[in-house]
Amino acid sequence: MAALNYVGSRRSKLLFASSVYAALIALTFAFLFPLLWIIGLSLKTRLQVFANPPLFVWWPTWENYAAVFGRADFLQAFINSLLVSSGAVSLSLLVGVPAAYAFARFPFFGRNFLFFGLLAMRMLPPIAVLVPMYVLFSKIGLTTTRSSVILAYSTFSLPLVVWIMRGFFEDLPRELEESAWVDGASRYQTFFYVVLPLIRPGLVAASILCLQLAWNDFLFAAVLTNNATRTLPVLMAAFSGGDTGVDWGGMTASGVLVILPVIVFSFLAQRHLVAGLSSGAVKG
Amino acid sequence: MKRRDLLAGTAAVLAMPALAQNKPDKLVYVGDNGPWHWAMVEEVAPEFEKQTGIKIDFTLLPVDPWRARLKTELNSGSSGIDIVQFSVGMAGWISPHFDDHEEFAAKIMARDPEWDWNDFLAGSKKAATYDGRTIGIPYRITTGIMHYQKYLLDQAGITRLPETFEELRQAAIALNHPPERYGFGLNGRQGAAMYSSFSPWLYSAGGDAVDFKTGEILINHPEAVAALEFWSGFVTKDKIVPPEAMTWDFEEIVAGGQSDRYAIVETFAPYGTLINDPKLSKSGGKWIWDTVPGKTEKSQSKTWVDGHSLGIPKYTKNKDWSLEFIRLACSKQYMRRSMIRGNAPPRGSVLRDPEMVRSIGWTEVAAKAIETGVPTPADPVFQALEVSLRSGLSQTLIGEKTPKQALDGVADDWRRIMRRAANLR
Amino acid sequence: MGGTTTTAVQAGLTAAKPARPARAAIRGRWLDRQFITFAVMPTTLLMLCVFGLPLVFSGFLSFQGWAPELGLFDGKFVGTANYEDLLTDPDFIGSVRLTLIYTVVTVSAELICGLGIALLLNIDLPYIAIFRTFLIVPMMITPVVAAFCWKLLLDPDHGVINYWIGEHIVWLGRPDTALFAVALVNVWQNAPYVSILLLAGLRSLPHEPVEAARIDGASTWQMFRHITLPLLRPYILVALLLRTIFEFRAFDNIYVLTSGGPANATMTLSQFTYLCSFVRFDLSLGAAASWLMLLMSMLLCLVFMSTVRRRDAS
Repeated sequence: MAALNYVGSRRSKLLFASSVYAALIALTFAFLFPLLWIIGLSLKTRLQVFANPPLFVWWPTWENYAAVFGRADFLQAFINSLLVSSGAVSLSLLVGVPAAYAFARFPFFGRNFLFFGLLAMRMLPPIAVLVPMYVLFSKIGLTTTRSSVILAYSTFSLPLVVWIMRGFFEDLPRELEESAWVDGASRYQTFFYVVLPLIRPGLVAASILCLQLAWNDFLFAAVLTNNATRTLPVLMAAFSGGDTGVDWGGMTASGVLVILPVIVFSFLAQRHLVAGLSSGAVKG
Repeated sequence: MKRRDLLAGTAAVLAMPALAQNKPDKLVYVGDNGPWHWAMVEEVAPEFEKQTGIKIDFTLLPVDPWRARLKTELNSGSSGIDIVQFSVGMAGWISPHFDDHEEFAAKIMARDPEWDWNDFLAGSKKAATYDGRTIGIPYRITTGIMHYQKYLLDQAGITRLPETFEELRQAAIALNHPPERYGFGLNGRQGAAMYSSFSPWLYSAGGDAVDFKTGEILINHPEAVAALEFWSGFVTKDKIVPPEAMTWDFEEIVAGGQSDRYAIVETFAPYGTLINDPKLSKSGGKWIWDTVPGKTEKSQSKTWVDGHSLGIPKYTKNKDWSLEFIRLACSKQYMRRSMIRGNAPPRGSVLRDPEMVRSIGWTEVAAKAIETGVPTPADPVFQALEVSLRSGLSQTLIGEKTPKQALDGVADDWRRIMRRAANLR
Repeated sequence: MGGTTTTAVQAGLTAAKPARPARAAIRGRWLDRQFITFAVMPTTLLMLCVFGLPLVFSGFLSFQGWAPELGLFDGKFVGTANYEDLLTDPDFIGSVRLTLIYTVVTVSAELICGLGIALLLNIDLPYIAIFRTFLIVPMMITPVVAAFCWKLLLDPDHGVINYWIGEHIVWLGRPDTALFAVALVNVWQNAPYVSILLLAGLRSLPHEPVEAARIDGASTWQMFRHITLPLLRPYILVALLLRTIFEFRAFDNIYVLTSGGPANATMTLSQFTYLCSFVRFDLSLGAAASWLMLLMSMLLCLVFMSTVRRRDAS
């Protein structure tokens, strides 16, 4: 596993280990520093934000968080984000997992075409479909609803789900399903009772990635929702008000509240995340 | 709000019996999310609901989604929007969706003469006009004026505010004190704020962008080139602009003023409040204001005018109720309230009110500037032209091209854009 | 492990075997054959409706001359005029060139960084997993939030970066430093993703070749170059493909940091298309630009995959 282990004196091993740790600590600092800085900004007043030289030690203030929580629309936006994200994840999984299974196991008519289509969906810049999608939704009366956003997000996470789950399905030995069929189970039963329980890590991984996509999106939510149904990123944009300047404290505070759930979630499930990203990827 | 006005307002509402029949339970308002809506959202809407029982459903979006939403919904003739808030530059493509608002204004006047349509500044009415038709009631009017730090001028022995380009240049050079404070601030980022930073010089030099009646491109004519030479000279020749101004869009120029990075700036009039507030700004309390200098004499002074108007689309079923809301929001008392809460309303009586002048400061200068100001061109093709202009201006500021080269390049690009627009219509 | 799977299968089978009468059995067999259809149909439908329709409409728009005053379907047919306008626009061509260069540079940087991080994380030392947990964070942060944060970090006066360097560099104000800064932010945000991919690859590599080489006395560098890298190839290729697709159309970071400036130095295709569609409101030009972007993306992938296949074959 560790390709760089080597035999050596105890002293050189210690030296090696400490240099590895040092490198990792430096890297972690470099990669995490911006996040820590955002958190710091959210605890500063406007004057402190623009202090020159930059303040590293200061008395934190909670006024920004108080302002954000004090907004009546914050809780509403948070709930909207929850609803939209969970809806998008559920829909993507519901639709994508069976399809991934079909991709992995059965050669069917139009398989390559469909797969290519999914790949094309990944390649298209989202802004290209934004206005046409809005027109489509307005024709069927879905604009300003959360459902339109859920549909839009599902479309973007669908290729991801199929991509990742296909890898997991291909990893499963066929014998299990074959013995199930021989025993007389239908395809549906095999799928639900035999296969699905075994790829739960893949489901977790796919969910996390879909969640991240749905939770963090701004552009689609901004166009497809109104004040009552808007999600957190859209609310956040309200803090940078056009030609009157950016409320840095409010923006970073709401920014922290936006990124925190996803980070916590991925901390908890990061083992599955790694498995998911890698498994699906290679078979792709 | 005085009791007398409240009674007057209620009386006006009750004087419309015909409306009581098809009263909606809400009116949909679509606008942008600038923080100057406080008065409208927190004071006017509740008052309106109290008087009529109708809620106002505010949909306030960031700039690009706001425009996208208006375009798609109005173009499809949907009745889903009752009150449209649109900016000056949008007037061109939005005008087919609106009836003549002079008639609406007359309706309001008939019912409520105190409302005084003539109190609205001429420049603001011009900004709400397209193709000879008034298509909205102005609510917010912004313009570009000069902001000077008075004590620095005094220190340098400059007793009279600059009236010509050259006087301004000399003043800025005299006040230049790098690296703490530079002489002049401007918007150097290749973005939406650049036009507001450059156009006063363009207009005050007698230049223009395009003559939309004849289609003649004027952006690379000698006047325009002279204006760009003057404006970019601050950066490339005299070097009296803070280096980071190259990244400055709207809010950064405010932050720069609050950090006391420059002594003189031309920018939005309402920014004066933010830059002069001692609670927010290091340079708070030190600023005075004036209209922009002319090229060779003060009478040539001309600046840009922009802002937002409220309009009633053709397709809504609640025209009279929308009109009622607009009447209330644009009334003298509520516009005065909105001024206190961050707006810049287009009423002469409010802007010239001595108390406003005393407490806020720049309002009288703004009123003067608006009278002669040039509204952002509303011809739909101007949006594309302005984007193209930004890259030319940016190239000049960076020093990649001379003003003449840059504007010639812009003119070429404009020719392509306008030819394209003509072919496709 | 075999034990648990068989138990699981048995459990699944017991749950899956109800008794069935004859007609139900025939219907059951038909249903069974339709399994694929039912499994795939929702995806296809969703794809076609929510994605395909707007895409086709966008294509339709790209052949129309559409002006902002018109209704969405009222433009007149102009053939390839929009595409011609784009391909003769020096700004568009410049954008294409910039995007290609930018993509190559950022993807290479991400690969190198990601590989370095993966190699470090693969070492068998205690508590290494903690570092992996932390290093995932950048890719989880909302891109817009991260970009705003970097904007403040890179601020010439109040930014921490300049404070540490000690120089007053206007990062986003000069063409060369702006491009560098934008690339830096993207690499920062996405190198962790690459490192996870490659880490999984490293984990799955067989031990035998490495052991054999060590016994034969190969140096660490030789082992890395001749054994690890070639074995890691499939993972590297996948990372390359995925990152190229993304960086080609990367939008959020550049939009917040520079929105295309200064002097068009960061005007990638995605910024150009955005300006067309949303600021100039020239939807037909924006649609044409999007389609060209899509075609270029697909071409890149095809070229990439066929090169790989050719090398594999040889």
